[in-house]
Amino acid sequence: MISSIRVLAREESGIVQLKVMIPHQNESGTRKDEQGIIIPAYFVREGSVTLNGEPLLDIELGPSVSKDPFLQFRFPGKKGDALKVAFLDSRNELFAAEAVVQ
Amino acid sequence: MKRRQFIAKGAGCSAFLLSMSPASLFGAWSAKDFHQCSIDQAFMAALGTSAPDRSDKITIVASPVAEDSSVVPVQVISSLKSEVLYLFVEKNVTPLVIKCTLQGNVLPWFSLNIKMKESSTLYAVVKSEGRFFMTSVNVEIVAQAC
Repeated sequence: MISSIRVLAREESGIVQLKVMIPHQNESGTRKDEQGIIIPAYFVREGSVTLNGEPLLDIELGPSVSKDPFLQFRFPGKKGDALKVAFLDSRNELFAAEAVVQ
Repeated sequence: MKRRQFIAKGAGCSAFLLSMSPASLFGAWSAKDFHQCSIDQAFMAALGTSAPDRSDKITIVASPVAEDSSVVPVQVISSLKSEVLYLFVEKNVTPLVIKCTLQGNVLPWFSLNIKMKESSTLYAVVKSEGRFFMTSVNVEIVAQAC
């Protein structure tokens, strides 16, 4: 199954600020429920970003990222550049989106 | 939207997603870097050294006092020529939070929200021309959210 994520990219003075929001519960695997049973770990583990087809970022994430991970990055670019953002969680579910720099 | 347009859009979308199959896109997530251990062991596993040199060219932007331990905003900025950025939280069960490999001209900067188990030191480590440099800040947790 492929889930969608929110991607925003805005250019200002030649620098693009990329914002990525992944709706995900991001369980660390250390919390317990009301019965005292450990809630299994379930979190976004890795991601990649490409700009006009060229690799830009490789991201690896641990379980200590907050619920609904919100990541931001900066790189040189211009309006109209094409971004592809994809993330994979610990159950191998894919989260992906395309965006155009504004 | 007309049905034909809708189908065309759907087809384009699935072609894009098919071209991004996980196997071709993702490297191996390094389980050894992200295991539950002490900060020294996490440094050794991820960096191969437990004592990177300190550098004042790396900055961690985080509030010294965090209200909500489940959402602590953190920024890491480096003015070194950086290839890989790391963020560690000493007291977390899994100290390594993020490993970010920069390609192309990406600026050595990132921002994210992290969870903290308790008040702790944060370490940002930068790999620059094959060497590791780090800086640290303390973040105090006032209220335990989880």
